[in-house]
Amino acid sequence: MRKKLRLSDDNVQAFLMILPFLIGFILFSYVPIVYILRYAFTNYSGFGDCKFTGLANFVRAFKRDPDFWQSLLNTVILSAGKLAVEIPLALLLAVLLNKKLKGMSFFRVTLFLPAIISAVIIGLIFSLLFASHNGMINGILANVGLIEKPINWFNTKWKAMLILGIASVWQNYGINMIFFLMALQSIPQELYDCASIDGATGLTRFFKITLPMIAPIFQSILLMAIVGSLKVCDLVISCTNGQPGGTTEVVMTYIYKSFFGKSGRNIEVGYASAMALITAIFLGIVTFVYLKATKRLKEYEG
Amino acid sequence: MYRVKRNLGNTIVYLFLAAFFVISFFPVFFTFMSSFKSNMDILTTGNTLIPKHFVLENYSKAWELADFSTYTKNSIFLSFFCVIGAILSSTVCGYAFSRGTFKGKEIIFYFMVSSMFVSLGTLTLYPLLMIMKAVHLNKSLWGVIIIRVFGMNVTNLFIARGFITSIPKEIDEAAKIDGCSFAGIYTRIIFPLCKPLIATVAILAFRSAWNDYMLPMVFTMTDTSRMPLVVGIMHLKSSGDAASSWNLMLAGTAISLVPMILIYIGFNRYFISGMTAGAVKG
Repeated sequence: MRKKLRLSDDNVQAFLMILPFLIGFILFSYVPIVYILRYAFTNYSGFGDCKFTGLANFVRAFKRDPDFWQSLLNTVILSAGKLAVEIPLALLLAVLLNKKLKGMSFFRVTLFLPAIISAVIIGLIFSLLFASHNGMINGILANVGLIEKPINWFNTKWKAMLILGIASVWQNYGINMIFFLMALQSIPQELYDCASIDGATGLTRFFKITLPMIAPIFQSILLMAIVGSLKVCDLVISCTNGQPGGTTEVVMTYIYKSFFGKSGRNIEVGYASAMALITAIFLGIVTFVYLKATKRLKEYEG
Repeated sequence: MYRVKRNLGNTIVYLFLAAFFVISFFPVFFTFMSSFKSNMDILTTGNTLIPKHFVLENYSKAWELADFSTYTKNSIFLSFFCVIGAILSSTVCGYAFSRGTFKGKEIIFYFMVSSMFVSLGTLTLYPLLMIMKAVHLNKSLWGVIIIRVFGMNVTNLFIARGFITSIPKEIDEAAKIDGCSFAGIYTRIIFPLCKPLIATVAILAFRSAWNDYMLPMVFTMTDTSRMPLVVGIMHLKSSGDAASSWNLMLAGTAISLVPMILIYIGFNRYFISGMTAGAVKG
């Protein structure tokens, strides 16, 4: 016999409180994925006909769209390059902030400042800072005598990518620094006390105590940083918008432009869905491989 | 000798941190300074930091001619409802997931948390727009608000559940004996006890709503009168007369930065604890 459900029942109330959010969650997190799956195999262009075309979109992506792979490769290069600077830098700053010196809370608050600014605004500010004609950075470099003529930062792919990397590091080092700082503060002081009795010095202590102790949190910080940078979009749109000549396009901006027909492209919902699917699978693989690899790393250590 | 070495070490630490203080501040300071330059000065003397003449007109022009008054109103509208929504959604869900005893609670919780791994960012913009088009909300900021509030922010959910679990259960058990219902305990007891949680969630929601770009942009693409600030700034940049309106764009950027920075100065504790809470729990 089923118990009769009443509104006065605690469990019914609890479930009803969650229900609207559960519906919203399914609608806005999973339905879009179903939508992409449905249109990835069609030639839908946003309106009018929608014909099932089988794997045609995927054949096109794999065989005839080098720009898509270019954008994916750019995303990977940009992420790898900027994380190689950002993560050690954030860790170093966190270690320094963790010293019990005066004024550290001031630096903690001020170095975190970039994290509260919109990525779009950051992209805009950096495009202006690095403006080729009379830009601020060119001005500074000329004043200290490093360059004679102003550099045009945005006329070749690699220079533009460098600016994107700098802007992205600037945007994220503060937040990663705070993550590391929290991890460092969770290490018991006794460990260091014991180590100094044994005569361990700064670097030894860092590699023998600090790093192993923060390894689990390090793993999740790095995962978030990797996935976050692979999904970069706003910053690129406002800073270079793929210029020069679409060579700094990242995968998110490339697919966005196919969905909405921006930058002179046609609206191709079907094809964009197929690329979105490929990218989603790529992101999944990266996460999976990362988790596997770091797990094995942990086993070696243990 | 040891002391000298230590002082030297501390000096290097301070110098290094001071350098990064400058790096963190310089671009923001540069933006505010440039927002007082005339357009001519921005284009010809971009390499000097302090403007020759402080042109305050940039702000009045941006406010009146370039529609930044409308953009600001829209940003406030969007942020206000996103903040209210985030407070309600996180406290309600946090409470139900913490205290509820209904079947499948854990499964639903981890199902919702799993969205952290399937969040595809920009890839789902178009489908989201189409879902909202079905209910004719694709041309207003209400669509954005509904997606942001009901789409559930996993970080907020984690923080809220953790916070409410830490409230002693005896308090609501006493109320239950007095005949208070499950929902009644939420409104009369738990919600008023959630002030620190509400502050954190409100600030995080404000930050993301105020800074949000892609989603509000696709919802206001055809209608400049509904654009929030960040979208308006980019709209001005991509419009034909971008080169002649750098001063207005920078004044608009400064307008968009000021509230955020003021709130950060006042509540940085909540910012920092909130933005890190999700990482450590997840």
